[in-house]
Amino acid sequence: MVLVVICALLYSGKHMEMDRMVVMTTQAAGKLLGLAPDSQVARGISRIAESMWPPAVAEKEETARRPDLDRARLPWFTHIETEETTVHRLNPTTLQLEKTTERAEYLVNPVGYLQTVLIKMLETLEIAAWGTLLSVLFSVPLAYFAARNYTPNRVCYALARGFISLLRSAPELIVALFLVLAYGFGPIAGILALSLHAAGFLGKFYAEDIENADRKPQEALEAIGAGKWRTLWYGVVPQVLPQYVAYTLYILDRNVRMATVIGLVGAGGIGQELKGRFDMFQYDHVATILIVVFLVVVLLDQFSARTRARLI
Amino acid sequence: MIEFQNVSKIWPDGTAALFDVSLFVPKGQFCVLLGPSGAGKSTLLRAVNGLTTLSAGRVLIDGIELTPASAPSLRRRVGMIHQHCNLASRMSVAMNTLCGVLPDLPAWRSLLRWFPAADRERACELLARVGLDAKHLFRRAGDLSGGQQQRVGIARAFMLDPDVILADEPVASLDPRISHDIMSLIREVAKQRERSILCSLHQVNHAREFADRIVALRDGRVVFDDVPEVFTDAIAKRLYGPAGPMMNAASNPLHDPTATNANSALKLAA
Repeated sequence: MVLVVICALLYSGKHMEMDRMVVMTTQAAGKLLGLAPDSQVARGISRIAESMWPPAVAEKEETARRPDLDRARLPWFTHIETEETTVHRLNPTTLQLEKTTERAEYLVNPVGYLQTVLIKMLETLEIAAWGTLLSVLFSVPLAYFAARNYTPNRVCYALARGFISLLRSAPELIVALFLVLAYGFGPIAGILALSLHAAGFLGKFYAEDIENADRKPQEALEAIGAGKWRTLWYGVVPQVLPQYVAYTLYILDRNVRMATVIGLVGAGGIGQELKGRFDMFQYDHVATILIVVFLVVVLLDQFSARTRARLI
Repeated sequence: MIEFQNVSKIWPDGTAALFDVSLFVPKGQFCVLLGPSGAGKSTLLRAVNGLTTLSAGRVLIDGIELTPASAPSLRRRVGMIHQHCNLASRMSVAMNTLCGVLPDLPAWRSLLRWFPAADRERACELLARVGLDAKHLFRRAGDLSGGQQQRVGIARAFMLDPDVILADEPVASLDPRISHDIMSLIREVAKQRERSILCSLHQVNHAREFADRIVALRDGRVVFDDVPEVFTDAIAKRLYGPAGPMMNAASNPLHDPTATNANSALKLAA
């Protein structure tokens, strides 16, 4: 048995070029320690790192491209800079190269790009929030039908379970790809993609919580003839609510991270911005985006940890 | 009043929990069921509100037979006090008590958890009656002590002013002093309203003190049915004693179940 596993690993390792990975990583480590002369990986990383630093924060725009600019009332944080550049230009009449000085006026916003990124990040958070809200709305009825002890009949149960599996098995990115085709670029596709996947996840966990809830209060309500949904509402929901909130917070957290990713396929938010900058090789802008995403995820972690601690 | 007519219950695995039990509990009677674990006490109780479906026989409450069709309306006339209180531990004491009126509450009020003022007042009154004053109202039920939880359970059972109270080992997990309090509380509240009580117990001393009548079960059969005064220590010893030729519920009952309640003549001599 162990032999079979080892053989499989060896075969797959060859197939997956694990040998090359080891060699390249060793080379990079050697370069880092000054032992190896050159390393492809180290070169690649250093080139990206160089172009990423410093992160782009400012935004510069020629005033000529903003004909509607009101010079008396500039937008927030902006000022106007003039730059003189010397250029060599061919004079068409004399056919001589002439040195001319050109003056260009720029509208400079020292935190302009940061603003753009933050606005995009807000959009991403909105996508995540709506995705979470919709997934909760989808998954609550789904959980009712998928809970063995409350489902009206076996057919409903099988259908609900099957639907949940289907939702869970489709990755957000693929769903988003299709939804972008259906709804066009923008947040709608992102929101729907996130909520469909999360509804599968939440539906499964909500349903299992209903099934595993303490039987005793339910029995007490059944005994007096309270009926099915009242038993659920008074005997089950109060008991499982803290768990529900915990799952939902996890989904919110996950949705924020996924919302940045699904932007890559054009489903709105910061991912779309990231992909654009990446494709234009503007790695300094990419750096700003990554830092903002990192900070937001850390903050959100803190927030959900605190909310959870207070509720349970 | 509760009437069991030739009630039998056979579990799917073939074991008989109840075997041809006939019993009549008149209005206002405090009837205690005794018997070793597995004798069928809980099954008999749960047959009254249909939590257990019977294999044979009929159960009548105030002359109405319990059927799937009549179950919803009959259940609301039967209050139940559970061994483990069966409160929703994360809900408040007030909310748990108010749960007692749910069968009568309109759907929209149930959904919004908006109970009529009359019900809320009644819940407060009942909680005060069972010894829980206003400062406990909004505590979580799970934070109360075992005795206090059972008091909430009793208040809940009386919310709809049921005709019949079922108590399934209501003091099984409580200490002797508190269980004495709880038993006298159940008896008092029920006597005040002239309600029949069917109560299963493990404590023979409580049965002797509080019951109007003791019914003993062994292996799903009624083996004793009489006033507490004639339930002697010898009978108790044999009831809980090892099964054997002496204690064969079918052939040698402790007390002839066909004898009427008034007939206190004991068949059991040795």
